[in-house]
Amino acid sequence: MMKDNVDAKVGVNAMDVKFTAKDVQVYYGDNHAIKDVSVDILDKTVTAFIGPSGCGKSTFLRCLNRMNDTIPIARVEGDIRLDGEDINAPQVDPVQLRAKVGMVFQKPNPFPKSIYDNIAYGPRIHGLAKNKADLDEIVEKSLRRGAIWDEVKDRLDAPGTGLSGGQQQRLCIARAVATEPEVLLMDEPCSALDPIATAQVEELIDELRQDYSVVIVTHSMQQAARVSQKTAFFHLGNLVEYDDTTNIFTNPQDTRTESYITGRIG
Amino acid sequence: MPIIWLVLIVAAIAGAGYVAGRARAMRSVEGDHRKLHSLPSYYGWNVALKAIVPAFILAVAWLLIQPLVVSSSVSGMLPEGAIPENSSRGLIMAEVRRAADGLDMAVETGSISPEDARSDAAEAAEISQVLKDSGAVVTSELTEPILRAAQRYRALNATGHLLMTGLVILLSVIGALWGIRESRGDFRARNTVENGLRSLLIGAASIAILTTLGIVLSLVFNTIEFFRLYPAADFFFGTEWAPSFSGRGGSSELGVLPLLWGTFYVSIVALAVAVPIGLFAAIYLSEYASKRVRSVAKPLLEVLAGIPTIVYGLFALLTVGPLLLEIFGKDGLGWMQAGTAVMTAGLVMGIMLIPFVSSLSDDIINAVPQAMRDGSYGLGATQSETIRQVVLPAALPGIVGAILLAASRAIGETMIVVLGAGAAARLSLNPFEAMTTVTAKIVSQLTGDADFASPEALVAFALGMTLFVITLGLNVLALFIVRKYREQYE
Amino acid sequence: MTDTSIPKDAPRAKTSIHQIDALTKKRNAAEKRFKAYGMAAIGIGLFFLIVLFTSIIRSGAPAFTRTVLEVDFTLTQAQYEEAEGQLFKTAAYSDFFIAELEETLTADGMSVEFDADTIERILGKVGGTLREYYRANEDKLGEPVTFSLATSSRVDGYFNGRVTRDGLEDSRFLMAADLDLVDALEEAGIITSEFNWPFITGADSGVDNPGGAGIGASVVGSFFMMLVVLALALPIGVAASIYLEEFAPQNRFTDLIEVNISNLAAVPSIVFGILGLAVFIQFMHLPQSAPLVGGLVLTLMTLPTIIISTRAALKAVPPSIREAALGIGASRMQTVFHHVLPLAMPGILTGTIIGLAQALGETAPLLLIGMVGFVARGYPDGFLQGFVEPNSAMPAQIYTWAARADSAFYDKAWGGIIILLIFLMFMNILAVILRRRFERRW
Repeated sequence: MMKDNVDAKVGVNAMDVKFTAKDVQVYYGDNHAIKDVSVDILDKTVTAFIGPSGCGKSTFLRCLNRMNDTIPIARVEGDIRLDGEDINAPQVDPVQLRAKVGMVFQKPNPFPKSIYDNIAYGPRIHGLAKNKADLDEIVEKSLRRGAIWDEVKDRLDAPGTGLSGGQQQRLCIARAVATEPEVLLMDEPCSALDPIATAQVEELIDELRQDYSVVIVTHSMQQAARVSQKTAFFHLGNLVEYDDTTNIFTNPQDTRTESYITGRIG
Repeated sequence: MPIIWLVLIVAAIAGAGYVAGRARAMRSVEGDHRKLHSLPSYYGWNVALKAIVPAFILAVAWLLIQPLVVSSSVSGMLPEGAIPENSSRGLIMAEVRRAADGLDMAVETGSISPEDARSDAAEAAEISQVLKDSGAVVTSELTEPILRAAQRYRALNATGHLLMTGLVILLSVIGALWGIRESRGDFRARNTVENGLRSLLIGAASIAILTTLGIVLSLVFNTIEFFRLYPAADFFFGTEWAPSFSGRGGSSELGVLPLLWGTFYVSIVALAVAVPIGLFAAIYLSEYASKRVRSVAKPLLEVLAGIPTIVYGLFALLTVGPLLLEIFGKDGLGWMQAGTAVMTAGLVMGIMLIPFVSSLSDDIINAVPQAMRDGSYGLGATQSETIRQVVLPAALPGIVGAILLAASRAIGETMIVVLGAGAAARLSLNPFEAMTTVTAKIVSQLTGDADFASPEALVAFALGMTLFVITLGLNVLALFIVRKYREQYE
Repeated sequence: MTDTSIPKDAPRAKTSIHQIDALTKKRNAAEKRFKAYGMAAIGIGLFFLIVLFTSIIRSGAPAFTRTVLEVDFTLTQAQYEEAEGQLFKTAAYSDFFIAELEETLTADGMSVEFDADTIERILGKVGGTLREYYRANEDKLGEPVTFSLATSSRVDGYFNGRVTRDGLEDSRFLMAADLDLVDALEEAGIITSEFNWPFITGADSGVDNPGGAGIGASVVGSFFMMLVVLALALPIGVAASIYLEEFAPQNRFTDLIEVNISNLAAVPSIVFGILGLAVFIQFMHLPQSAPLVGGLVLTLMTLPTIIISTRAALKAVPPSIREAALGIGASRMQTVFHHVLPLAMPGILTGTIIGLAQALGETAPLLLIGMVGFVARGYPDGFLQGFVEPNSAMPAQIYTWAARADSAFYDKAWGGIIILLIFLMFMNILAVILRRRFERRW
């Protein structure tokens, strides 16, 4: 009989582990969406979650910064630790957690505000800037990190909704970076973008790896292969296989992974 | 009830036509209805429609035009000399009409014979005595010309009705016969009926246009008439509202400014109550409330919107007014003289508008995409930060639209201010003073005893025009803003 | 990428998510406050609702009870002839009545002095009522008849707390001393409270007789108006909606209609009253105060509501139904009338009932077409007369009472509101049931 879940222990130094998840279950009402997922996510690494649609990869991603709290019918069980601290512990304020674990969404969702205010929103609510000059600096730095500074530096007062799709998504990444998170979660960040914008965002992700642990959900295996060092394959709510990206794509251990990668399921 | 009889007769013709048309169509194919172009009933309907529709249109047109023709004809026979110094032709015509109605009534009650009512020999004094005795309201003695005009008025009307009845029945019969003649097997009855039906549907839809037209025309004509009797500049810029109650005197001051001020003051108080409460209620219901709370609280709040305004008016007059008077009146703070005041009406109107603001805002807040909220939560914002800094700014245009609609409601509201705001027109800043509004004065000017042709009554139409223009402007602006807002997220 | 030289600043000090920092505490407090504002807003709204309904029920309840004096009275043939022979006939009847009442009270062991004026203040002109009865029923002479006589509105007020002994200023309506007799009569069980049927079934009284005012005639007036609205607004509204939703081409004319409908929906109701006055009464010379005219005005006012809800109901019928019908060769007209319309009917009826409820409670336009300011003294003579004979309507009648000087009418106004709200409640419940029962989701 085939094992449903791998024991996702990769031989790495424990110091490098950012997130540890053990036996995570997620229910949407009666629907058991995530079954017994255990995984370690490394710091300063891009980890890709792949799998057919509806396999639970996005759901699991949303567990990592407790975004599932905003869905009334969702219920999360199991143990998820950030730097060894249980994120579902009762004393944890999800607001503080999300400041550390930023998120970028599938569809670019800039606020209906100016570009400047979009970036400044996070630092303002978390009280990161001491004064206006400080805030200006954070905004500029974040826009540079988001690789969009050169395109928008002359129109910081223009509404963020007026940018092109690719620019909007980089703006959203810059916005997430501005709160100085330790982990960046990206939920199919390129699915609404054209190939050129996708390439720009992928390049950006590769750069962000130097400072952050990045977790990216993608439906594109090519993208996972291009940007990630680690890949986790989800299927029907189970974590089927988790390994170095090169191993997954060249030498998958599970037949389901192999079927997916060769295009037989998905 | 001759009209009812006419309706019944035409209906009978149509019914007979239906049967005849259907039967004739069936006969033309020797009873085999498969050979007909359309189902048999369509042949019947074709005849019925042809019997009813043209006759109906003729009757309606006749009823609309006849009063015009009769009035102008009767008015023409009144000599200049019959119009007293300080009166107008319109006033005299109203007198004529009343006399004619009085005669009708007297004939009906039997206090005068139909012949006497018609006869040229009838004495004006004698007739006016008869009319007074029989309870018909005749304000003054009838003069000879007025009596003759009234008799002519009755005669013309009677002839007109008779003529109309005859022509309508004739047209109906012709229509029916025409339809029956058409009823042959190869006649495309279904298409004809459907085209006719389609025209009827268009006609029904056009009633909206006719209503607007009716509103605009009745306001415009009477307003022009008013401005002929009273200078427009004094109306728009006058700061004094003091109509004389005698009706005909030229001493009335009819400045609209105090009324507009009262209207706006009451509306502002109302919005100051309704907007914060309504908006926060909407925010709570759409963002925080659990499904259960929402399913209870939302309909309960909306009950407030379903309560007739007369109830709120009474509530203002008898509950809120005395309550405020207790707090702010002589025994309390001493700011308030009487229960009816801007505050009373504004507060109650505010309560009425809470569900209006909250339902509209609720819809608008719900239309803000979830992605917007997710983006904010993803950055570690709390729910209130998300609402205040992301959701509300995104919904702002829509909320502004909703508030404008509420303002238009407040400005046009009548019963609450009639009962709760007081009757004195006043330019004052004290919200505990009685003031009056445009709508309240429309009611009081048109429900008094003033003659319709006097400036004191006609001013109501100018007020109505002002009200119509203001509310229309607000509505158009609000709908424009809301529509723009909806497009943004569609 | 371009910005490889991003200044690397020192990483933020490691914080634990298990410790809430000061800023987060402050933010959470703000969150709680904000949420509390929302709850307070809901609370205030519901509080107003409760205050409104308690004041309606508390103030309206007295209208539904009335105080009656129930007493056995025997008039002999001789007394009858004697009274009829006098100059002031009703006064004679009063005297007989007082004498007998005094006898009854003394028999019960009470001794209260009273005169004809007291009786008149408590009961109104009782002699007239008696005379009318005996002239119509001469056969009852000589045998005891139980009379149920309504007391005056002040005595009513004394019983339901509106009039108090201390607050009462002696007037020709009621003296404080009269209340002694009232108390005695109550103790003897002669004055009792009963359900005020005449209020439900009766017509309006004059301005000087609040006790006798009833809402029945105006309910009938409202009924005839609603008949007119139903007979006109439903077919016209449905026809207009069918045209706009199913047939109208995309052109200027259609746009014009649409714009007109959405604007009419927001025109103040008083403006419709002006329209009614100018067009139906001044121009077409339809009778003033007639339910027919009121119905016409309310029809125009209700049409936009009905059209908007009917269109929503038609829109909710999925296109597949239309395609199915068209596919087997039905004409567009047949498709609409045989398939779409029946499916949309529950929605249309719901919208119509809600529109009718709105029209039933509307007052302002009725003021302008003369449905206030006179006394609707009776029921119409027949069905057709019901449309054209001057009458009042429920909200107009309530307004008339509220505008009268005598505060005894306020009870009636509140009572009228309770009746009006009961009607509205039934209509809304009917609408909800219709929606629940027949609502289909595709």
